[in-house]
Amino acid sequence: MTPTPGQSTRPERPRLRARTVGIAAALMAFSVFAAREVGFDPSTFWEVWSNPLWEKFWPIPWDWVFDSGNVLQPFVETFQIATISTILGCGLALPVSFAMSSLTTPNRPTYLVSRAVMNVVRAVPDLFWAKLMVTAIGIGAFAGAWALTIFSLAVMVKLFSETVDGADPGPLEAARAAGGRHAPSLRTGILPTVFPDYVAHALYVFELNVRASVVLGLVGAGGIGRVLEAQRQFFRFDRVLGMLVIIFVVVWVIEQVSVSLRKRLI
Amino acid sequence: MTATTQRPAPPRWTGERRGAIGVVLLVAMVWSISGLDVTLDRLLGAPSDAWAILRQMIPPAFARVAARGAVGKVFESVYIAWIGTVIGALLSLPLAFMAAHNVAPIWIRVPIRQLFNAIRAVPELILAVILIPITGLGPWAGTLAIGIHSIGTLGKWATESIESIDSGPIEAVESTGGRWVSSMRWAVFPQVMSTISSYWLFRFEINVRASAVLGMIGAGGVGSELVSHLVFRDFPAASAVLALTVGVVLTIDTVSAAVRRRIITGGVGGDDSSRSAEALSDLTGINHR
Repeated sequence: MTPTPGQSTRPERPRLRARTVGIAAALMAFSVFAAREVGFDPSTFWEVWSNPLWEKFWPIPWDWVFDSGNVLQPFVETFQIATISTILGCGLALPVSFAMSSLTTPNRPTYLVSRAVMNVVRAVPDLFWAKLMVTAIGIGAFAGAWALTIFSLAVMVKLFSETVDGADPGPLEAARAAGGRHAPSLRTGILPTVFPDYVAHALYVFELNVRASVVLGLVGAGGIGRVLEAQRQFFRFDRVLGMLVIIFVVVWVIEQVSVSLRKRLI
Repeated sequence: MTATTQRPAPPRWTGERRGAIGVVLLVAMVWSISGLDVTLDRLLGAPSDAWAILRQMIPPAFARVAARGAVGKVFESVYIAWIGTVIGALLSLPLAFMAAHNVAPIWIRVPIRQLFNAIRAVPELILAVILIPITGLGPWAGTLAIGIHSIGTLGKWATESIESIDSGPIEAVESTGGRWVSSMRWAVFPQVMSTISSYWLFRFEINVRASAVLGMIGAGGVGSELVSHLVFRDFPAASAVLALTVGVVLTIDTVSAAVRRRIITGGVGGDDSSRSAEALSDLTGINHR
């Protein structure tokens, strides 16, 4: 039966299904349980807000912050860690990414093994790597650089191998058809088309590394975080806040520069 | 007449440019290595040190760490991540409606967007450093840090999905005389909720990793277990904790990705690869594009 013009039947209201209710109830129950486990209590919001300790964060001792030995010098170390690990990690990532893309991999076992290994490496958070390296080769920036190199490698191969996957296979087929061997074919058939993305991803990884290297020191792996951790343990929260302001500004500036460079590249 | 094609002229100065870039990279490497206080024997010794520890890590001492309650600690990390995500989701949702350019006026949109950006710029770990003296050591510090940080990214993602909706339903509600709240509830909400809830799940995946790290500075969860085993150089135990963490992280990733795929079928906008790039940027709060 068709509705008369100017009058339409109202669609039936969707019914609430038992499964939907069940899922919602399960999620609620899990949330309530988890909230108890982490010590959630609405009153804690107010306690956090009204805690007298906040006063310890103020005023910021700017003359201490700008004294070159206190913050500037460890900050330089932070950059050194970020720079070397970006260069090493991204350099290593180039061949590994080619192995990890189905388009450019030399053979099936290499493809599977490199993917599996890199998935596991990426599942370990960066600071876990830092702590492992500190334990293995001693406290300091050297361990931090090692950890971030591994971390950069893992992130870079993820980003870059996806770019390679999406590359135009035509030039590569042409190079192979002309009798090119594996490495030279990649060099002339794929690399020129994906290189701008490679550089853009590398800049992005550098940004990540600057951020990660700021907190590395919290686990003893050098850089500005070392000073942050020390001042935290002395309960000099005013100095901590001052350093955080500086970190915030520097990281923000680097991000802006890097974002504008990357926009020009792609 | 024979058709001759002119070969294009090779680009000039490529060799010189490559040389210059090489020199810059080399100088950067030398400069950065100079600051890491690397001696030759440390450099040569590092791989063998790492290898020695790797050998001690096998086999992992699962039974021993389980007896110490490591499994509970892993789950504590999951709870922290979950509640942090819930806090972030609940607080970011109303804010996102005030930040989207198609539904909110400019005077409220701009400050809220800046708030999202500012929150995203501070990593969880730094938030936890600030919060621990206030809340004391324990999972609540980590939960708050993750909750606050999640507002920034969840807010940004939700804003973007609200901005990508079809404006037809809004016009329909307005033409029947509906107010702002009704048009949000009946025109916008049904369009974006599937996408936004998949973002919540996605943020939960990221937060599981983040909360594992937060434990390292005493904000609750599995990180503290790893640190204490490594401090006592108990490598079989450390590797067991590490394996448990990686196992849980990968399991949650897989399950959550499957659920998200199920939710998103028929949802608005956002493909998986763009979100994985977003995720990476989000781990540290940087704009990828």
